[in-house]
Amino acid sequence: MSENILLKAENLSKIYQMGEVTVAAVKNVDIEIVKGEFAVILGPSGSGKSTLLNILGGMDQPSEGNVMMNGESIIGFNDKKLTAYRRDKVGFVFQFYNLMGTLTARENVELATELCKDALDIDEVLETVGLGDRKDHFPSQMSGGEQQRVAIARAVAKNADLLLCDEPTGALDFETGIKILALLRDINKKYKKTVVIITHNVPIGDMADRVIKMRSGEIIEIKENENPIDPERIVW
Amino acid sequence: MKKLDKRLIRTIGHSKGQFISLVVVVIVALIVYVSFSMIAEQMYNSIFQYYRETNFAHIFVDVSRIPGNSVDELLEIEGVDQVQGRIIFDVPLRVEDPNEKVNARIISDPGTEDQINSLFILEGEGPSPGTRTTAVLKQFFVGRDMKFGDTIRPYIGGTEYSLQVVGEVGSPEYIYLMENEQTLLPDEKGFGVIYVPEEFAQSAFGFQGSYNNIVVTVDEGHENRVDIIADEIEDRLDRFGVRSVITRENHMSHSVMIQEVDSLEMMSTSITIMFLFVAAVIISIMLSRIVRKDRIAIGVLKGLGYDNKQILMHYVKYSLAIGLVGSILGVLLSIPVADMLSGVYIQYMNIPLFTGAFDIRYLFYGTLLTSVFCIASGVFGARSVLKITPADAMRPETPKAGSRMWIEGFKALWQRLTFSWKMVLRNISRTKRRAFFLILGIALTYAVTMLPVFMSTIWNTLFDRQYSQLQKMDYSIDFNIPVERNALLELQQLTDIEFIEPKVELPFELVEGWRKETINVIGVQRDTIMYGFRTASGRQIELPSKGIVLTDILARQLQVQAGDTIQINSVLPGKSDKTIQVKAVVEQYFGKNAYMDIEQMYDILEERDIATGALLMTEADVVPDLKDVKNIRGINSVQDMRDAIMEYMDLIIASMGSMMIFGGVIGFAIVYNITIVSISERMMEFSSLRVLGFDKKDIFRLVTRENALMTVFGIILGVPLGYSICVGLVDYVSTDMYTIPAVIEPFVYVYSAAATLVFVFVAQLATYRKITNLNFIDALKNRIS
Repeated sequence: MSENILLKAENLSKIYQMGEVTVAAVKNVDIEIVKGEFAVILGPSGSGKSTLLNILGGMDQPSEGNVMMNGESIIGFNDKKLTAYRRDKVGFVFQFYNLMGTLTARENVELATELCKDALDIDEVLETVGLGDRKDHFPSQMSGGEQQRVAIARAVAKNADLLLCDEPTGALDFETGIKILALLRDINKKYKKTVVIITHNVPIGDMADRVIKMRSGEIIEIKENENPIDPERIVW
Repeated sequence: MKKLDKRLIRTIGHSKGQFISLVVVVIVALIVYVSFSMIAEQMYNSIFQYYRETNFAHIFVDVSRIPGNSVDELLEIEGVDQVQGRIIFDVPLRVEDPNEKVNARIISDPGTEDQINSLFILEGEGPSPGTRTTAVLKQFFVGRDMKFGDTIRPYIGGTEYSLQVVGEVGSPEYIYLMENEQTLLPDEKGFGVIYVPEEFAQSAFGFQGSYNNIVVTVDEGHENRVDIIADEIEDRLDRFGVRSVITRENHMSHSVMIQEVDSLEMMSTSITIMFLFVAAVIISIMLSRIVRKDRIAIGVLKGLGYDNKQILMHYVKYSLAIGLVGSILGVLLSIPVADMLSGVYIQYMNIPLFTGAFDIRYLFYGTLLTSVFCIASGVFGARSVLKITPADAMRPETPKAGSRMWIEGFKALWQRLTFSWKMVLRNISRTKRRAFFLILGIALTYAVTMLPVFMSTIWNTLFDRQYSQLQKMDYSIDFNIPVERNALLELQQLTDIEFIEPKVELPFELVEGWRKETINVIGVQRDTIMYGFRTASGRQIELPSKGIVLTDILARQLQVQAGDTIQINSVLPGKSDKTIQVKAVVEQYFGKNAYMDIEQMYDILEERDIATGALLMTEADVVPDLKDVKNIRGINSVQDMRDAIMEYMDLIIASMGSMMIFGGVIGFAIVYNITIVSISERMMEFSSLRVLGFDKKDIFRLVTRENALMTVFGIILGVPLGYSICVGLVDYVSTDMYTIPAVIEPFVYVYSAAATLVFVFVAQLATYRKITNLNFIDALKNRIS
């Protein structure tokens, strides 16, 4: 089993000091992400899921605890190593896409792949996300769904093992959201990428291999899904 | 091309106005730096190279008369390398137009090899011994459109001589040609220098075997002792009537040249630094704004795996692009500017070795200088990139802490303000540092604009002060030799003169402690109507019956003031030294003199009722009537001096105009960029206002009000700043020969304010398009650019 673990967090805590008040965003979290799985971290707003995702992705440092990627701890990485970790091991998809407005779809993807040694073929990835004929458009000329596809293509094309998606459907309408989820599922299958989605949207959990529920900075339940459903069947 | 670089280029494309305005600031800095520094260095080097090649003297001595063998005795003084006697006289020149007054300085040429101040033959040859030939100084040769073979006709002691022009020459002594300290500007048509064979000068002036001028060079190891050697020479030559001993440092042409080089260097440094500093501050404000706006983008880039260095460089490249584009264009444009500038110097200054060729090193220096400035300001402006952590970048920025302003304490006032004005004031207080920079920028614009406005008034003020208030005569006539005072009556019969007064103008050495100055002391009637003496405070004074009145430059050099007693030594042989009390210090802008009652002058000279010249008031043109009168050496007309200056007006207006443009560039760059930064920062706020029902004009009005308020403060601050710069400049350019009155007329302030308002208005207008083109709905939607 242990060789199947891609990412492992132990006793993870993140405490913010806000004036005289101490806020624990994440409290003693233990979590394992299995290679190739499609995991969904579910929780209401303020449950600490984004903080957890940021720490797992090397975007933020925990106050306590350990995070291991393929058995190697990333805690204590200096800035340079942490940058390399984000560059080579992780791909991020954000709620608000966060594309560079002055770059075309293709250039936005290239912005990420320029840094990587084993990047995937950009045109193929853009084809996969359904943007083969829109790649020379600027973000402002695209719909929200299209922009999120570019963001996914950007994360995938880096050929990182892990795709971390922070509320990827949060800014989209229902139908577009479903399409994006389907795309992420396809990517998970086609490229054998481990996908972790965080969301407050409970029905999305039905398509996951595993659902990790959080509340108030703690994991309250981890549920294996015997029969994940197709994204197209999700309703919210 | 790297995608980040592509993003940079598109970002620049979207902020063309800002980019271009900053590039222009850099271009101006670079043009000034490259052309001014390059020419200053070349001029300096070529002057000294010229001095070496022509064996330029270290000491110049004017005496009444000295035999040749006594000149040679000066070689005994330790440190003296070479000595050479010369005969120098200023004489009128006969020209075709009888109304034209032309003076020539005749200088004897020994015709030997290895002479001091040897002629630099530009074309033709030097005057040959035994002939009636002359070599003419280039400025005069060109100014009077001479050709080889032409005859020029000096009028010496009542006789007209004919000299054939055989050469066009340069001389280190007359790189910058001025007739005397009071003329200030060259007049190549009206005054020139001609070199004649020594024996011709000796016979024409009656100086067989003797001289009235000595030039001395000093051994290489004794150059730092020139002053001491000059003193020793003065002591030794006492019996020959020393009129003046001038070291190279105080030599008229040399000091004008050195001052020119110095002021070029000063302008080069100060203008370059000022412009680069302004560019640097704007760049850093702009970049820090861009970085703040790009917070999420920076987070994303870090999330993608870009490191701090790569992201910082991305932003620094923005400023580097400004520096490089500015450098390239600046260097390219500095080629014609340097060419133009060196053309002006070549026209007015005769340095044969100065070519004004472009020096490639300055291309490198200039680019390096601007790059360093731009990189430093870029790093400074974008340094907050380093602090942004990717996780923080994804969270919304905490709103700026709002607090009440001190002005809100004045409830009565605050409550009277409209909502828009309250917003204006709040915004200013929220971005204090930027507001301060904007005010400072406008103050700087005002000051830079004020300088040329002030300088264009200088000539008028100078003329008014020097010629309407101090010297009220229309003509000042000098005789060859002192004449009976009665001779003035004859002059009155020759031409139409309203008033005439005698003057006795003779060189004296004034001594106070170790300080001494040899200058012309002018004796005039106590009740003179030709002079209006005023003290520095503007108080009018009359000449005292006993004692001496010094001009301010002289008093400063001797470090004396009214009430002090100084020694006055006649330079004429056989006269005893006397002490005299300084009764007052008066203002005089050109030249330095001392004045006393003519009766007291007679006492000192132990001679009565003589005159060395006359002062005239008349409406008529007296030159044609008087120029052939025997014993008249020179006729100086105030109108001629005014006209000479007017010839330079184009040049003055051109340089003032470029200074004005400098002010405009700075003003525009600052106001435009700061306004754009402010607009882009407040997109959300403006969008909300639009939702509330403000239209585009309302928003523009809001921004305009803010800038108008800053402009008022800027101008208020600009007044003392401009005043200090003008006074500083006046101080800087004042020399031993002239001072410029630091009188700033009220209209100078008004014109400068008007010009500043125009610059601010134009910049403001340029931002109008930005506001009308802003898509407020997009602004509310977009999170990243």
